[in-house]
Amino acid sequence: MKELKHIFKLTIMEKKDVSLAVVFGFIAGIAGVALLASSGYLVSKAALTTQMTTLVVMAACLKLFGFVSALSRYAERLYSHRATFTMLSNLRVSFFEKLSPLAPNLFQRYRSGDLLARIVGDVESLQNFLLRVFYPPVVLAIVFSSTIFFASFFSAAIAVVLFTGFLLTVVVVPALFAWQKRKTASKTRASRAALSTEATEFLYGFRDLKIYQQLEQQEQQLHQLVDGYEKEQRNEGLWENYSQSINALAAMLISLIVLGLGAYFTAAGELEGLYLAMLVMLSLAVFENVTPMAVFPAYFEESRKAASRLDKVVEEPVQNKGEKNLQPGRIEITMKNVSYTYPQEERPALDGVSLRLPAGSKTAIVGPSGSGKSTLMQVLLHTIQADAGAVLVNGEDVHSFDQEKLWSRINAVLQENHFFFGTIRSNLAIASEEATDEQMEDVLEKVELGAFSLSMKVEEKGQNLSGGEKQRLAIARAMLKNEALWLLDEPVSSIDSMTAKAIYSCLFEQGREDTFVVISHDLTGLERMDQIIVMEQGRIVETGSYDDLMERRGYFYGLKQIEKSVFA
Amino acid sequence: MIDLKQMAFERKRTMALLGAASVLKGLAIIMQALFFVWIVDGVFIKGDSFNTIIPLLGGLSGAIMLRGACGYMLGRTGVQLAAEIKSELRKRLIRSFAANPLQAAAQGQSGKKVSLLMDSVDEVDGFFSKYMPQIMQTYTIPLMLLAVVFYQHWVTGVIILITAPFIPVFMAIVGKRTKVKADEKMEQLGQFSGTFLDVLQGLTTLNLYGQANKQKQLIQKNSLAFRDATMGVLKSAFLSSLMLEYISMLSIGIIALEIGLRLVVFQNITFFTAFFMMLLVPDFFNMLKDFGSAFHTARGSMAAAKLLSMELGQEERKTEWGQEVLASEPPHIQLDGVAFQYGDGFALHPVQAEIPPHSQVAIIGKSGSGKTTLMHLIAGLLPPSAGTVKINGIPREEISEKSWFDQLSYISQNPYLFAGTIKENIIIGANREVTQEEVAEAAEKAGISELVASLKKGFDTEIGEAGRGLSGGEKQRIALARAFLKKPSVILFDEPTTGLDLQTERILQESMAELAKSSTVITIAHRLHTISRSDQIFFLSDGRLSAVGGHMELMDSHGPYREMVAVQQGGAAE
Repeated sequence: MKELKHIFKLTIMEKKDVSLAVVFGFIAGIAGVALLASSGYLVSKAALTTQMTTLVVMAACLKLFGFVSALSRYAERLYSHRATFTMLSNLRVSFFEKLSPLAPNLFQRYRSGDLLARIVGDVESLQNFLLRVFYPPVVLAIVFSSTIFFASFFSAAIAVVLFTGFLLTVVVVPALFAWQKRKTASKTRASRAALSTEATEFLYGFRDLKIYQQLEQQEQQLHQLVDGYEKEQRNEGLWENYSQSINALAAMLISLIVLGLGAYFTAAGELEGLYLAMLVMLSLAVFENVTPMAVFPAYFEESRKAASRLDKVVEEPVQNKGEKNLQPGRIEITMKNVSYTYPQEERPALDGVSLRLPAGSKTAIVGPSGSGKSTLMQVLLHTIQADAGAVLVNGEDVHSFDQEKLWSRINAVLQENHFFFGTIRSNLAIASEEATDEQMEDVLEKVELGAFSLSMKVEEKGQNLSGGEKQRLAIARAMLKNEALWLLDEPVSSIDSMTAKAIYSCLFEQGREDTFVVISHDLTGLERMDQIIVMEQGRIVETGSYDDLMERRGYFYGLKQIEKSVFA
Repeated sequence: MIDLKQMAFERKRTMALLGAASVLKGLAIIMQALFFVWIVDGVFIKGDSFNTIIPLLGGLSGAIMLRGACGYMLGRTGVQLAAEIKSELRKRLIRSFAANPLQAAAQGQSGKKVSLLMDSVDEVDGFFSKYMPQIMQTYTIPLMLLAVVFYQHWVTGVIILITAPFIPVFMAIVGKRTKVKADEKMEQLGQFSGTFLDVLQGLTTLNLYGQANKQKQLIQKNSLAFRDATMGVLKSAFLSSLMLEYISMLSIGIIALEIGLRLVVFQNITFFTAFFMMLLVPDFFNMLKDFGSAFHTARGSMAAAKLLSMELGQEERKTEWGQEVLASEPPHIQLDGVAFQYGDGFALHPVQAEIPPHSQVAIIGKSGSGKTTLMHLIAGLLPPSAGTVKINGIPREEISEKSWFDQLSYISQNPYLFAGTIKENIIIGANREVTQEEVAEAAEKAGISELVASLKKGFDTEIGEAGRGLSGGEKQRIALARAFLKKPSVILFDEPTTGLDLQTERILQESMAELAKSSTVITIAHRLHTISRSDQIFFLSDGRLSAVGGHMELMDSHGPYREMVAVQQGGAAE
């Protein structure tokens, strides 16, 4: 139950709608019972009398109860559904809020298709929490207690039977099935997530699958997953049908007992025959309300599971957030003995790294693929926290800063930059909302994307842009932000050298006073950097200016020789 | 077009079962009411003793059991039917995704397609699990009840016949409005799932630009818009059930009044008949009401079916293949006026060129000049809009797909690594049974042996979706290992310098030289060393093949090429 606490809280945030739904639900239920009970009584009464008044009362009662019941049902549905969907919106936002600070590390662990399945699917399924889990028992309890109270005036035994029926159909049977369902643990969600993940992978990896002729095999695998999902859905459906049938049967049998008891008491003279039809009708009517309880176990289990899965995603330890703001002006960074190992990985990505990036300095980080350059960048960005050692920004521990305020001072270009479904303009506006069209066109010109119009469409993940275009667009975005610290992770790797050179010139001109850290895949054009840091296997193997390093004839010199031989 | 009803009726046995269960359930309902009335009438009017009604109680419990069993059968059959049809639809969808050529795979949002496969198909469920069983009951049970009512007290029957037709009329009116709204909702659901994924994937970028908060508001805005859209649909559904309730209430009221009049004033009707009517008539209208709610579910299903039809009916320019089998040696490739047009956007103008066996071709040009499109055309991933690709003089359309792709490796800028182990990701290239030794050898040649050796689980180390956890160079090397294992005779190599360090690049150089010994290599190249070593250079600009020739040849004759080389060498000499 504790899994549902958060959802429960979010639900009762919609106090007004929820209580209105309960009130109208009660009125609708009790009016329905009154309608049938009164018709049963009046038919009996009419059989014994010739008074016109009976007829008038009968017609009036039927109309009144009927209309009240129908209208209340309408209002109940409206309020309960509105409360539900508002709750869903709150849930999405609250989930997003929790997820947001965890995002940089998250895709390391979860597959995005799985994440989508989890979040969208689980959030959607929680719409049933209020409608089918939380609120039917509440309404039923009120309707039943009123009905039983009324019946007790006529026959204590029948009241007891009704109460037993209530316990059976509203409490015992649903709880039993919910418990059983939990024990057998519905696999439907898991098989759904598996299918959705594989389908996502199928679509994204389409080209490679096609060329490696794995498309058919993958298709077969998807078919199997479809079959698996179908099997689970079928089982769940059948099981639900079973529990519904059992509940309906139980309700009907209770009415049978009410009739039997009533008949017995009437025959024995303990109950006036006039009320027999009424009590039978009352029983039939009140158990008609129980129908929603038949699906309770399924939805209870589904909500519980969805809530616990959502919780699990955001269960990650929340980083201790600093408060400090980074003062305007130049930025200096020092790293002391920083180490970092990715979760579930063996190799340390960074191993005792110390370095200094003076304000306004231009630093290049070079080294083989997988040597820890990008991890170093992540630590500088504070998107991952070092396991050991210290990172100082302007002399203060990086943890003392508010993360978002820190990011607001950094122009970052990552290896994989995300572009959103929209236009070039909307993707640039992420950097600066105030930027005018002229400013945007100006930065596009600088990265030699002048041919792009601002209203050009950008597809999901920027799929319609080439690798080089995406990199240039990411640089344009950083230029538009124009802050004092530039962190560039292989920003021009897909850009031809002519264009790359021109872009670098623009960058260094724009950021003459700024601190630059550039991770570079090639060793040309490093002469103008103040320092070059050479990394290998998570360690810094060499530091110095271009001339220093060339003179030293060490690791860097070796790399440079390879480069030369490659070009020769 | 997908016709859900037709899909259901094609399964004759299932439908017959639904029909039989419905008739039995109708009988049970009538029996149940009858026994109720007999018992009450016996005790209340005739003053029977309890013992005389005991058999009646037994009969009643029998009727109740039968009703329950029939209800169970109806539900069960519906669930089975729905599961079967959903599975069929999903498989058809997957087929249609797979049959689309490349441009379609990248088109639009993948999230949308996943949502189509998952949510839209699930929405179809209600039609079969709820609506079909209900419609069979609606066809039979009300008629049976009506017959009994007419037999017992024809006036009640007449009143029902006059009032009941209002129900379908109102339903049709409200249903029409619901249909339009349901269509809108489906669209919104698709969009919402697309943007939600897009936002989640871009969360890092959003965080760095301080936009996460704004996205939060956007999500809220979208959610509330989604709520309002859904409420719009639901409101009309609720309204339609309110109408049903009113009409049936009115009808029951009139019937009660008529019965009451006869019972009280004219006294020409028995309590038995009156009570029997009062039990049967609500059941009659309950059946119609149930049908109303099932009908609403069906509307949603039909809106979803329309989306599915749109996807399944999409006409695609397919890549054609034939039967000819290629020998496993580098073929002679001829591009005969090959052109491609993306909708009304970018166009690759007709390309005329020859690629002899074992030759090395470098495709160069600024980004966006059509290099990748040309590569996809050569690869047979895109159908040319004009011209033919000829392999050993045979049009590619006449060659068998398997035979062609068996010869081909495509090492892209960003090779797609599937969620699975490193070994699985290398083996995917081979398309045959391979030994551990072969995998190890390919890994060795591609320079990933050291990496693999440093991992506790070695080749069995899991790598995530899109190779998360590996650096760009490592991914590239895994792609190389795939090629080494496959031993292709044509290698398409896309941007070899993408984000790689020098060591990986050196490995790439060596690997490509090794692979080139036994194959034709066509490269989209940025680096001079690759370009100058090529037998032919295809220089593309703005979608046109503006020059073809060797390095020296182009240096002599082609101004733009000379300029490009000068800059590259200038960069290297610094």
